[in-house]
Amino acid sequence: MKLGFIGLGAMGRPLAGHLLKAGYALAVWSRRPEGSAPLRAAGARVCASPAEVARHAEIVFTMVTGSEDVATVVLGEEGLIHGSSDGGGLFSTLVDMSTIAPSMARYLAVRLEERGIGMLDAPVSGGVTAAESAALAIMVGGPAETLAQVRPLFDLLGKTIVHVGENGAGQVAKACNQMVMVAAIEACAEAMCLAAASAVDPLKVRLALLGGAAGSRVLEVFGARMVDRDFHAGVEARLHHKDFGILLDEAHRLGCPLPIAAVVRQQLNALMAQGWGRDDSAALLRVVEQESRRK
Amino acid sequence: MQIGFIGLGLMGCPMALHLARAGHRLHLWARRPVSLEPFKDVDAHAHLSAAEVAKHAEIVITMVADGPDVAQVCLGEGGLAEGAKAGSGLVIVDMSTIAPAVARDVGARLAAKGIEFLDAPVSGGEVGAKAATLTIMVGGNAAVFEKVKPLFEKMGKSTTLIGDCGAGQVAKACNQILTGVGVAAVAEAFNFARKSGVDPARVREALLGGFAYSKILENHGQRMLDRNFKPGFKAWMHQKDCSTPWSAAAWAKRIRSPC
Repeated sequence: MKLGFIGLGAMGRPLAGHLLKAGYALAVWSRRPEGSAPLRAAGARVCASPAEVARHAEIVFTMVTGSEDVATVVLGEEGLIHGSSDGGGLFSTLVDMSTIAPSMARYLAVRLEERGIGMLDAPVSGGVTAAESAALAIMVGGPAETLAQVRPLFDLLGKTIVHVGENGAGQVAKACNQMVMVAAIEACAEAMCLAAASAVDPLKVRLALLGGAAGSRVLEVFGARMVDRDFHAGVEARLHHKDFGILLDEAHRLGCPLPIAAVVRQQLNALMAQGWGRDDSAALLRVVEQESRRK
Repeated sequence: MQIGFIGLGLMGCPMALHLARAGHRLHLWARRPVSLEPFKDVDAHAHLSAAEVAKHAEIVITMVADGPDVAQVCLGEGGLAEGAKAGSGLVIVDMSTIAPAVARDVGARLAAKGIEFLDAPVSGGEVGAKAATLTIMVGGNAAVFEKVKPLFEKMGKSTTLIGDCGAGQVAKACNQILTGVGVAAVAEAFNFARKSGVDPARVREALLGGFAYSKILENHGQRMLDRNFKPGFKAWMHQKDCSTPWSAAAWAKRIRSPC
């Protein structure tokens, strides 16, 4: 089977690498040429446009930033859709692993179906580390038959693959993931700030809490970054900021109240205002500290 | 050892029973006689006041609802301090969840009477109390902590000396920020999924494998899916605890805690 991969950033590059390593022919395209260089060295065919990828690949993965980026890559002038089989290409299935609006995922699924192309929305959780170690959680929306066809490939990329529902359902699950995760980062920041303000060692608090009812991956990973005051990005905060825009818009459309997420969004806004968007989201600690005039 | 135990509710009762089963003699006082029934078959003595308990015990554990109750039991009329024999080296261990400032105040007032005090609130709920798997967060003197540690180990699986008096309560406040916000965020997310026409059970399953994993998502998340709102933990207690971080935050020179 011939595969394609579009979007070779911090997440996309290792994922494309796993597919190459498994022996698949891989056509790639990336907005920035430096993204594709290491994959060219590993044997990937570097293409000049998404349309060219589509001509050479039956299943194409996309891992780009936002809804508009996916729309451009798929439907744009040089988009994947121009490489479908009715145009003489191989492209028959899109697997979008980006985090985008559920409504955009549903729209793309409809537009592709008109051309006989299948689609899965398959956003992921776990960050760069899990991408590198093929341990991602993959949340899938789309037809079961399409998932059955793609599942062996997902097994090369992640360790928890859950079929959440129809097209868009994967993105809904990812929105839920972001709400729960970033709210936990914010809560962790507030707790760490409270401990420090009370002259209590945040390191000991984190250790004590890890084993109990408050235990979480966030306390483990982001809590450690806060204790070490290491704000180098694992996950860039600007991406969470983007995600909260998506999910609160969607909630607005649905008339669905999200009071905690709304507060977290404002904290992320404050973080962006400080110019910390390319830092890790653990920098929410710095926002709370600044609001408390503690640093 | 002669152990006093006051506050034999949902949490205190199984905790005290673990100590009795470990071979300690219990000295109890309870507001309601019915609370004493589970102790009929163990080595336990009921007393008429907290002061009486203090006369007979080397270490007294309190597990009551809130700060004023702790102050009353320790320092009020007929309280523990009243019954403590001079020079006996009585240790009071408060395992309730109360405001750090109250813990510090009670600790200081007991110290003035020659009574040692640890704040040692717990996390893990009734399930953790029954299974002796509580997380115990301790504030106070290190030597006193070492003395009480064997008892903590009968009630919990992880015990940490966080710092000075009050530090255990600060850690517990941090715990309640994480669990309180965690429960609310999971509820919000499940409702969002349902409104989007997506099955929250699938969402929970998908999220458990990623960065959003938490004990809350695993346990409270399942209870929400089952719509089982019976108290594992009574909501009014959490409401009380969520005011603890605020009073703690106010005490710590008004830090801002938006969530």
